[in-house]
Amino acid sequence: MARRKFSDQLTSMIKIRNLVFEYPTARALDGVNLDVAPGAITALVGPNGAGKTTLLRLMAALETPYAGCITIGGLDTRLEPRAVHQRLGYLPDFFGLYDGLSVRRCLIFAARAHGLSSGQVNKAVMDAAQNVGLAGRLDQSAGTLSRGLRQRLAIAQALVHRPRLLLLDEPAAGLDPQARRELSRLLLSLRDGGMTLVVSSHILAELEDYSDQMVIIDHGRVAGGSTFKGTQLRIALAAPDDRLKDFLAGQSGIEVFQADASGARVIWQGGVEGRAALLQALVRAGFAVSDFGEDRHALEELYFARIDRETEH
Amino acid sequence: MNPEFQRNLWLELAPARILLMAGFVFCVLAIFSAAPPALPGPGFAATALYYFLVVLWGTRNAALSVIVEIRERTWDFQKLNAIHPFAMMWGKLFGSTSFVWFGGILCLPFIIYPVLQSRGPSMAAAELAVLILQGVLAQSVSLLTSLNLIRRHHNNWRLDAFLCQVTGIIAAFAFGFRGLLSASPQNQAATFSWWDMALDPQSFQSVSLAIFTAWALGGCLRAMRLELRLSNGPFVWLAFLAFLALYEAGFESWLARAIPGADFARHAGVFRLAAAGISLASSAYGMAFLEPKDPVQFRWLIVQIRSGRIARALLALDCWMLSFSATILCTLALAFAFWRDPQSIGGVSASALILPLLAALGFFTRDIGFFVLFRTWSRERGDFAAAGVLVVLYIVLPRIAGPAQSLLLPQLTAPLIAFSAAWAEAAALWAWTIVRIERRTG
Repeated sequence: MARRKFSDQLTSMIKIRNLVFEYPTARALDGVNLDVAPGAITALVGPNGAGKTTLLRLMAALETPYAGCITIGGLDTRLEPRAVHQRLGYLPDFFGLYDGLSVRRCLIFAARAHGLSSGQVNKAVMDAAQNVGLAGRLDQSAGTLSRGLRQRLAIAQALVHRPRLLLLDEPAAGLDPQARRELSRLLLSLRDGGMTLVVSSHILAELEDYSDQMVIIDHGRVAGGSTFKGTQLRIALAAPDDRLKDFLAGQSGIEVFQADASGARVIWQGGVEGRAALLQALVRAGFAVSDFGEDRHALEELYFARIDRETEH
Repeated sequence: MNPEFQRNLWLELAPARILLMAGFVFCVLAIFSAAPPALPGPGFAATALYYFLVVLWGTRNAALSVIVEIRERTWDFQKLNAIHPFAMMWGKLFGSTSFVWFGGILCLPFIIYPVLQSRGPSMAAAELAVLILQGVLAQSVSLLTSLNLIRRHHNNWRLDAFLCQVTGIIAAFAFGFRGLLSASPQNQAATFSWWDMALDPQSFQSVSLAIFTAWALGGCLRAMRLELRLSNGPFVWLAFLAFLALYEAGFESWLARAIPGADFARHAGVFRLAAAGISLASSAYGMAFLEPKDPVQFRWLIVQIRSGRIARALLALDCWMLSFSATILCTLALAFAFWRDPQSIGGVSASALILPLLAALGFFTRDIGFFVLFRTWSRERGDFAAAGVLVVLYIVLPRIAGPAQSLLLPQLTAPLIAFSAAWAEAAALWAWTIVRIERRTG
């Protein structure tokens, strides 16, 4: 049987269907269905123990599903785990480095272990080191690096072979604000270079800066999700008006994820002029708009709204 | 170069370490060269140093080559690379032990040269081959054990490394001891009986060593494939069991010697089956202790069997399950041989041995059940607890049980009681185990 190739022409880079995973005493994932679009950053959020890390390990073909299937770029993780391994990069939440090796040797080993030829290794090492800002520390021992620099080296190891898919489990944990900002920039630049990224994190405000899609995992299930290809807007009314939800739903370029008589939170797909037009339309329609602007905490609020709803159920 | 081998060379063979090892070896040998004639010479020192470095230290390095990766959290990164399982296996095996091999190789001329002088080049080459094979066997058995132990997620790396070292050292010297027994100074010219063939003990030892080394390397490859998420299928392990059974069946005369009054020539087939059965049962106990016995896999197997996907389930069986099944088949074959044999064996009618044999099979089934049941309680200590229970059942309790021994051991005097007790205990234990597995209790 001819081996299927990792496909570039996919509507979903990751396709998960009816995924079940069990630990000896508990079911960690129970019927997960998920699609991750190529060239996007997907944020995986959820409380501790929700199953995020297990899901990432299954995507990385490090664990075998109890039932259901995962395809990565068209490759089934159960049937072709090694082919999947070669095509992705993965940064676990608790990672280790070969402390006795220099940064250069760590990256050379990572590049060669991922099958890069001798001619490609040096360029790949330099590119990866530059990507994460370690080009000036190539001869420093990995064991002497600070927490933030170790994190960067681990990311460089994961992306030295330029994978099409990068899975990052809590990549910002333990980083200072400056390092977190640099990490956000790095992730955006990788996405702009065509890479698909799945990032699990607890720091929702930062995910908002770079994620295109959010998936909420809770109690081993997908509890909700949303796309963020646009600006998140907050609309508040001085006088409650029941027409607001229907009015917004009737506007083009808007995704409403929370609305009631006194205000709404929406994803706005248009530009600045369109936003002005939307505000004008609201005022013209008789809504007493008291607040209209970018919402920096939409992701967080959406997350808590979904989690609260799950808890109530 | 194999990247995993190169990475290990970077870590193991730093110039300072090479100089240190060379200095250490030559200092030790120089001291023994200058020792008075009454004391052991450099040849003895080189042999002792070789075993210390290659077997004692090498088994530890081979085991830690994987265990340290788990402890330092680099193993996931390794599993995600593109290195072929075979390259990963030999890169680890020979890379992690490259430092001790360097020291061992420095010792070899001091061991081999006297043999060359006294017994000629062919014996020197054979001696060299045996020494190297003993090292490779010890280290590969240690690596193989570590690859099995890490699947249990034991979290006690020191204990795991120690167990790996012990198994590696036992493997290395098992053939040495067998050779010593058969070619004792009093009986230098004696040949060795195996499958009724008169063989030269040293040649037999060397060939056995080479074959078992090949099996150990094959085992390492299979275990590495599992770690890299590739499935193995049952066939290689079944082939190993067949080899093991045939190999051990050849020692039937040794078994016959242990039974007073047994007529070996008349009952050769029975003794061969018994020897094969003992080796298969040993492999079942060993693998039941080493392998993870994952309750999730059990649930998955039960689902597959209930939904009629028998072939899929059979292809996913663990090694201990295959050894267990092979032991049952071999024991039933032995019972059939007893039934067909009209003669007495060691003064006991062959047919009178059937019930005690089936009782032994019941106790064996119960014992394997202990390993699975205890695993549902504790991932970390379940196997040791099960081993402890078996020690109590077979060594401590029979000493105090008196006439109730039939409830614990197969007895010739009360075979029916032993048979009934064994199978009742086995059935109860397995029923309890299956209930716990299906209820996800732990």
